[in-house]
Amino acid sequence: MKRGEIPLRIVDLGIKQGATDITTSLVESYRVMIRFSNNEITVSNIYREALINIFLMIGRRRAGTTVAITTTKNLEATVKNLIKVAKITPPADVYASLPQGPFHYDPSLLKSPKISFDPDKLIGYVEEAINGASERGVEKAAGTLIATRTKMTLATSGQVYETQEGTGLEMSIRAFASDIASGHAVSITRGEEEFQPAEAGRTAGEVAKAALNPKPGQSGRYIALLGPMVFADLINQVGILSSAFLVDAGQSFLVDKIGSSVASERLNVFDDPTINGAFGSRAFDDEGVPAKKNVIIEKGVLKTYLHNSTTAKKFGVETTGNAGLIEPVPWNLIVEPGGKSFEDLLAQMDDGIYVTNNWYLRYQNYRTGDFSTIPRDGMFLIKRGEIYASLKELRISDNMLRIMQNIKDLSKSRFWVKWWEVEVPTFTPYAIVEDLNFTKSTM
Amino acid sequence: MELAVNFARELGVEYAEARFQSDVRESIILKNGVPEASILGEDKGISMRVIFNGSLGFASTNVLTERATENTVKQAFRIAKAASRFLKRGVSVGKGELEEAKVEIKPRVKFGNIDLDSKVLLLKETDEAAEATAIKSQVKIPARILTLDTWITEKTFITSDGARVSSITPRAALFTLLTAYHPQKGTVQRYFNLGETGGWEVVEKWNLPELFRSEAHSLSKILIEAKNSPKGETDIVLGPEVMGIVSHESCGHPSEADRILGREAAQAGETYLKKDSLGLQVGSSVVNVVDDPTLKGSFGFYEYDEEGVKARKRILIKEGVINEFLHNRETASVFGVESNGSSRASAYNREPIVRMANTYLEPGDYTEEELIEGVKDGVYIKNFMEWNIDDRRFNQRYVGLEAYRIENGNLKERVRNPILEITTIGLWSAIDAVGEYLEFQAAYCGKGDPMQAIPVWTGGPHARLRKVRLGGT
Repeated sequence: MKRGEIPLRIVDLGIKQGATDITTSLVESYRVMIRFSNNEITVSNIYREALINIFLMIGRRRAGTTVAITTTKNLEATVKNLIKVAKITPPADVYASLPQGPFHYDPSLLKSPKISFDPDKLIGYVEEAINGASERGVEKAAGTLIATRTKMTLATSGQVYETQEGTGLEMSIRAFASDIASGHAVSITRGEEEFQPAEAGRTAGEVAKAALNPKPGQSGRYIALLGPMVFADLINQVGILSSAFLVDAGQSFLVDKIGSSVASERLNVFDDPTINGAFGSRAFDDEGVPAKKNVIIEKGVLKTYLHNSTTAKKFGVETTGNAGLIEPVPWNLIVEPGGKSFEDLLAQMDDGIYVTNNWYLRYQNYRTGDFSTIPRDGMFLIKRGEIYASLKELRISDNMLRIMQNIKDLSKSRFWVKWWEVEVPTFTPYAIVEDLNFTKSTM
Repeated sequence: MELAVNFARELGVEYAEARFQSDVRESIILKNGVPEASILGEDKGISMRVIFNGSLGFASTNVLTERATENTVKQAFRIAKAASRFLKRGVSVGKGELEEAKVEIKPRVKFGNIDLDSKVLLLKETDEAAEATAIKSQVKIPARILTLDTWITEKTFITSDGARVSSITPRAALFTLLTAYHPQKGTVQRYFNLGETGGWEVVEKWNLPELFRSEAHSLSKILIEAKNSPKGETDIVLGPEVMGIVSHESCGHPSEADRILGREAAQAGETYLKKDSLGLQVGSSVVNVVDDPTLKGSFGFYEYDEEGVKARKRILIKEGVINEFLHNRETASVFGVESNGSSRASAYNREPIVRMANTYLEPGDYTEEELIEGVKDGVYIKNFMEWNIDDRRFNQRYVGLEAYRIENGNLKERVRNPILEITTIGLWSAIDAVGEYLEFQAAYCGKGDPMQAIPVWTGGPHARLRKVRLGGT
């Protein structure tokens, strides 16, 4: 049996043994990750994997497993055991049969540009990034270069049998002009043509230099300019917590908000995996449903949650093509741009704070959206439309819905962001948020 | 694996390490009283770490054939060699007390001896206990998620300089998020983990229905009764759950030697401590914080770290003074010390890095009552929801969930969401008395790139802080 036929074989086995529905994916991946710090490579990693994911239903009884590639005999035993487990699993509240194909997939989304995994070339990207930062006069830089190739072959009892490929190049670099003056930037692409590690290095270096000699910020409410890395993190919260699974679990500030205004009229957020060449694009979801653009927020109004077929049945709607077999997930989050340049946005701030990056976002209450997160890297006091001073030691302590409602403006230019802190690839502008609450430590 | 290490040696590396890890897992998810699915998983593979001319290479695969293993060695070597031209300092592995050992934690009750029905039934009883308790206070718990994970980790690794360790470790863990709701009062949420090393007996010991009755009762009371928290300068008593997260975030993480060296600078960040910070006073003389992987039954338990170094208790802060950092063999060689056995990897396809195990404030000799009695006007914060800390581990925020006002040494009314936003040295220095009873909580510590969520305990007794500011600024 050829490797690519394994999912079909497993689906046949599952149906013969009594599954009402079964989906199986074979995911083969190859990833190189080169990590660096203090302008030097610290470790170079290579990961090679071939995994088989099986999820089956006997009516409302569901069971799933992930195993490595193994012999046909072992796979048969795995399916047999999973059927046994499903039979003794108590029934869920709804049964939604897997979506029925065959489906037509956009051929351009099934393939991905080729990228080189030649170690010298990848190390060259690291050198470019570090040199870019050094050109701006920083002391040191740290970061990660990731090159990935994946191939997913999916078969389902809904007459799906297709293969989609993906590639990715990611540079995440943090430059330090001093121990407490840093800047961070990323470049993420599908292919090599648009990959800009040197530019990421230069941007990180520029922010780090501008952040030198930071002064303790003063707590209070400010008009704030949120850089793409910060706004991407907030939009990730919107995208991830619009998963119907999390809404049902109470782990979302979007519960009971469909059709309601959850943000400023200026905010439009999509999940769009159909953009050819975008980092998180794909042809189909984990149930084989063709990927499609979903409008999550339109002119500030929440339009949909993200669904797989099971959550859709429970909520009385159609799947949005975002399976995740247990939890629906976003693929590519897109924020519609505004009309102003970065300089124009800055110019409308009399007394505000520009935050370039953040991390460690935690909720007091997911349901209400009360949370805090910590700015890191360059943070600047803005006076009369210009950068006035570098700041440190402030925290954003506010409410997610309040922040979304207080979006006043968005930039024309947009940037792709994904890094250690921002899980879902997000194409986002700068954002002006009014009345943002900053707090700080005492003692 | 021996062949792999020998093959790497033949390629001319200074150091080679082969590691096999298998995690066989079962997860049951109960959402709002309904089982979502039973999820089984077998995460199994090998990894190879080599050092060539000071360059560290790592490769992993889950294809377990001789050919794939040989290829993994070649990949680790090839990438290390290519990167070696871009090094100034490079890395080496320092000395450690390397061991040959086999460790097996035997469960009293094997997970396989308990059928799936019984496990789901236990979660349902637990879920129903929470709902039924809340409703007595006219509170609903409309959103409830419970995830029960049981898994067995098998590891074997050998190094080119003589370590050879095998281990089998069963673990059980429960995660929950509960949302309590009252039409006039809104919502409050509670999130926590339970986790231990052992078999099904640890799940039985948790007495989940009783625990959830207590949690639901507390959430209902917070929702109905809690008043606004006082703000401004005051004395506070922090419960073991809060002292656990404080010990982890504000002592354990800053003490990681790889952070001090900047190795995590672009991800989890650096630390306010420097290589020469040993001896630095960061807290009052009653503060002693340790990290101890050898606690039997703990979530972060291990006897040997991932580089073959025997685990031991590490005293991170001794009488308020920075006493020791957490080291693996790589960082130890830079600092000119011996590794103290802090190298851990979360899976076969993750590089071993410096990690905590079970980090806690050591007990003092005050009873809980004595700590409270010593406060004229203050707040007792029993547990928390929101927390974070900056990437130099110096500015942190902990927002209480179950909390009470203290008046003339007595606990009074419940207060809502007291906010402690304070520096690391400010916090440790404000402690004037430490309780005598130690308690632990389970957590998954996140660090590394790719992310490695690793089981740990955080813990401590109650502790009293004088004249800190509540409510932010």
